[in-house]
Amino acid sequence: MLPLPRFQLSRPTSLADALIAVADGAVVIAGGTDLLPSMKHRLFEPARVVSLAGIASLRTIVPQERGLVLGSGCTLRDVARDQTVLRLFPALAAACRTVATPTIQAMGTIGGQVALDTRCVYYNQPAGWRQSVGGCLKKDGAVCHVAPKGTGCYAAHAADTVPALWLYDAVIQLASTAGDREVPLRDLYGDDGRTWLGVRPDELITSIALPAPASSVVHRKVRTRAAIDYAALLVAVSRSDQGLRAVVSAVGPRPIEVAAATPEALAEAAHEAVRPLGTHLHPVPWRRALVRIEVLRAVNGLISP
Amino acid sequence: MNDDQPRIDGLARITGRAVYVDDLVRPRMVVAKFVRSPHPHATIVSIDLTAALAVPGVVGSMVGDELPVKFGPIPVGRDETALAVGKVRYVGEPVVAIAAVDEETAHRACRLVNIVYEPLPAVLTLDDALAEDAPLIHAEKRKATNVLRRVHQSHGDVDKALAGAAVVIERAFSYPGSTHVPLEPHAALAEVEPDGRLVVYASTQNPHYLHKDLAVVLGLPEHRVRVVKPAVGAGYGGKCDPTSVEICSAFLARKLGRPVKIALEREEVFYQHRGRHPAVMWIRLGLNADGSLAGIDFKAKAAGGAYASYGVVTAYYLGVFLTLPYRVDHVRFETLRAYTNEPPCGPKRGHGAIQPRLAVECALDEAAAALGLDPAAVRRQNAVPDGHVTANGLVVGTCGLVRCLDAVVLASGWNERRGKLGPNRGLGIAASSYMCGALHPVYDDAMPQSAAVVKLDRSGEVVLFVGTSDVGQGSSDVLARICAERLGVDVGLVRVVEGDTSLCPVDLGSYSSRVTFFAGNAVIAAADAAKKRLPEGVPWLAAIQQAEESGGTVVGVGSYSPPKVGSRFKRQSVGPSPAYSFTAQVAEVEVDPETGITRVVKVWCAHDVGHALNRGSCEGQIEGCVYMGVGEALYEEQAYRAGVVKAPSLLEYRVPTVHETPEIVPILIETFEPAGPLGAKEVGEGPQLPTVPAIANALYDAIGVRLYDAPFTPDRVRKAVLAASKGAR
Ligand SMILES: Cc1cc2nc3c(=O)[nH]c(=O)nc-3n(C[C@H](O)[C@H](O)[C@H](O)COP(=O)(O)OP(=O)(O)OC[C@H]3O[C@@H](n4cnc5c(N)ncnc54)[C@H](O)[C@@H]3O)c2cc1C
Ligand code: SF4
Repeated sequence: MLPLPRFQLSRPTSLADALIAVADGAVVIAGGTDLLPSMKHRLFEPARVVSLAGIASLRTIVPQERGLVLGSGCTLRDVARDQTVLRLFPALAAACRTVATPTIQAMGTIGGQVALDTRCVYYNQPAGWRQSVGGCLKKDGAVCHVAPKGTGCYAAHAADTVPALWLYDAVIQLASTAGDREVPLRDLYGDDGRTWLGVRPDELITSIALPAPASSVVHRKVRTRAAIDYAALLVAVSRSDQGLRAVVSAVGPRPIEVAAATPEALAEAAHEAVRPLGTHLHPVPWRRALVRIEVLRAVNGLISP
Repeated sequence: MNDDQPRIDGLARITGRAVYVDDLVRPRMVVAKFVRSPHPHATIVSIDLTAALAVPGVVGSMVGDELPVKFGPIPVGRDETALAVGKVRYVGEPVVAIAAVDEETAHRACRLVNIVYEPLPAVLTLDDALAEDAPLIHAEKRKATNVLRRVHQSHGDVDKALAGAAVVIERAFSYPGSTHVPLEPHAALAEVEPDGRLVVYASTQNPHYLHKDLAVVLGLPEHRVRVVKPAVGAGYGGKCDPTSVEICSAFLARKLGRPVKIALEREEVFYQHRGRHPAVMWIRLGLNADGSLAGIDFKAKAAGGAYASYGVVTAYYLGVFLTLPYRVDHVRFETLRAYTNEPPCGPKRGHGAIQPRLAVECALDEAAAALGLDPAAVRRQNAVPDGHVTANGLVVGTCGLVRCLDAVVLASGWNERRGKLGPNRGLGIAASSYMCGALHPVYDDAMPQSAAVVKLDRSGEVVLFVGTSDVGQGSSDVLARICAERLGVDVGLVRVVEGDTSLCPVDLGSYSSRVTFFAGNAVIAAADAAKKRLPEGVPWLAAIQQAEESGGTVVGVGSYSPPKVGSRFKRQSVGPSPAYSFTAQVAEVEVDPETGITRVVKVWCAHDVGHALNRGSCEGQIEGCVYMGVGEALYEEQAYRAGVVKAPSLLEYRVPTVHETPEIVPILIETFEPAGPLGAKEVGEGPQLPTVPAIANALYDAIGVRLYDAPFTPDRVRKAVLAASKGAR
């Protein structure tokens, strides 16, 4: 078996203790379904790891007057089965159910989704493999194999639930020993695969606030197998009084949003805005061609308001 | 017999009580891990172990120069060493082994090994390998070439036959490389017994060959080596070769005086590989006006990776089965297997016979369409009869192909449904034949290839000693059933002792679909011999006790050597078998024409198994074969980028999940082969042969486009649909 590197694990039962640990440099583990494989691949070798599993307050789903607050520690299964989520945010529940496999949904958390590392075929590999290509900009190397002339990293956002959370106008609530803050999910992500996440190392995601739904949302995920696979393409679309919106992801470090009045214009806008790169095993032209198709299909799946 | 009973090993396997190599622990045991090459082709300039050996808990190491003895699974291909000597030939080749008190320590120490390489120009494609001035991967070979073996055979007059054909289809095809993905990665535990003898517990398909190889490589007399095979989590051909896993654990156990375990990580299984050879193929196939097969002209080139493995045999298998399952007098083929700087290819389920099926079955379909003939009827019309001798001298015995074809045509509703399933849904058909064990063993001598000892205990228990290797396919179950049937007792009385080269008589191993056939015949002989000792008309227990009173322990010994048939051509040592199985398959597919995503909805597979000795096992093998075929048709590919395996993980090397697995309808056809044990033939490999072409032909029925390059990925299918709609405009 591929062994984990050695590390020290703490399991605080209070948020305050967890915040002290991260302020002190510990790396957060929630469900561990992404962090542990990455540690086995030696992408991270943290000396200290702090588990959030013992903090009960992070695992609550609290209905608000009109919306909902999801504790970051809720598992994807918790979220997918919650009656309020199913009623108000069905596309979120659907997206949870497309993640990996049922066993991973039972362990992986919604907080882990929001903070999920970007992915690339040159990066998510065992240490020896990466050595054989000389590493890359994101880890242990001096070039990007996807865009060798550039200076950026294009590793792709991969979290299934993020496009739906985005269109439900999710707000991420962050805490640290320095104080709390709120960031709309759509402002959380950046354009480089190394620094894509607007959460500081000393911060924790405590919850995800979903306001009353202003639009209906449809989530679609393209993959060759109906389980296990990460997305070759993620699309969510919404229709509200303001018109149609689409968020396309799994194509770069940041999900891409476009808006238009008609389905065709929306698909065209998405097609124009999205430039997938060779971060996946699936060929780039195929993934690009799918953008238009999947946006149209998603719009067709919307129930008229 | 012929019932659908739970396997004798079923409960232990599904409850987790079966003991695999990695479950074994010994006092003072250490584990070893490999440092692997990051280069496809490079000279090893220096190896510095200082830092690694200084890690607390590290107990020893091994480098290639310590054991430069070459080995390989067949005598004409001994070109490997346990660890690279002088240079590395593929990314992932083991160079150093480090032994430590636990896995984590060994892993950490491995990362501190400092190896200096000087990269050499690498051979990364077939064209590279065959180029005039190609760098030589094995410069020490007699001939200055990267071609391991070329085979050229011609029977009849193909050019004349095709000139007279009503239609000739000429096409190029390509078939992807793929790997086996056994659930259990390769593992071995070696220890030196107090009296100095070496025992190696290994996850292997071929304990006997491994035993011989260990003795040669380690320079030990064969009687000082014992190989024990515990429960094995599948092989599919990937555990036929002797590997660094067994040899290094054995070497280190002797060097360190401690038991040494090596258990590969999943990533490493992709480097160990020995999987399906990727092949480019070219075919000319003609049909006469009356629908009979005029001739087949075929070429194939296979890229085989850095070492020979069974590649010489592969070069033959790519051609020799072209004469089955259809009657064809005019056949010519030219095949080759080359070295490349990639992990070595080897045998995988349907070894070498899978790739040409794609070319033959698709070209035949196209030819039938050109003549306006029903593809199922053309196959039926050309099926070889019982007792047929092929143009290249293969002697068929019984042939149930017509019954197989009729069965799948009926079950799938072929006649009523084909062409009427609506847009983007289609049916395709293909057929095939496979051997029941290779007539010629890996090394040639006059000794039997399978043997069995049946001991009847005075307690009533029957102990069956066989040298076979049950790797999960259920060979012990089937042999126990044969034994019980011949003795006339319940299978519950039979205990099988197998897979141990000291306790069991020799069996050559689990390859070429030989075990039920060869070992089954040996078991019949042994059981009959034991039974002869028993007085007649006496109840079981009393009979054994009386026999023991009068003549000592009741033992029967039996063995099996295949008849010397099918050797009409001197060059033809690959292909001849005591019998042949036959398969017909219909696949139903559904295509999303916009995305190109294809789903195999249902597969009907009829297989001439001779006699089903355990229906559940036979159906399971058919399901496993179709499953694997679906993977190779649509999802899997062992692909490389500059010599580096693209996806050495089960996340990205996409074997089908339960969602992608079609409904599979296994149909067992029984022809009671006289040469087979109780009439049985093979069922472990043959049913995979038609799956990929049946899917290709179904794709044509669905979207009106023929695809010549597997796997039929969404990208390729989408492109094909687009090209066709442009053409139609
Ligand atoms: C085989 C396999 C397939 C997968 N397929 C998919 C897929 O199809 N789609 C998909 O979206 N994901 C997939 N995943 C990834 C993963 O399972 C999910 O994204 C899951 O939701 C991650 O949650 P987690 O709690 O396990 O995260 P962890 O692994 O615990 O953490 C992931 C990252 O988030 C950080 N983090 C976690 N919680 C917090 C917090 N509260 N505050 C700040 N940082 C935090 C961690 O430090 C870490 O960097 C797959 C994983 C595997 C192993
Ligand atoms: S996009 Fe480039 S830099 Fe980023 S992970 Fe992939 S190869 Fe590395």
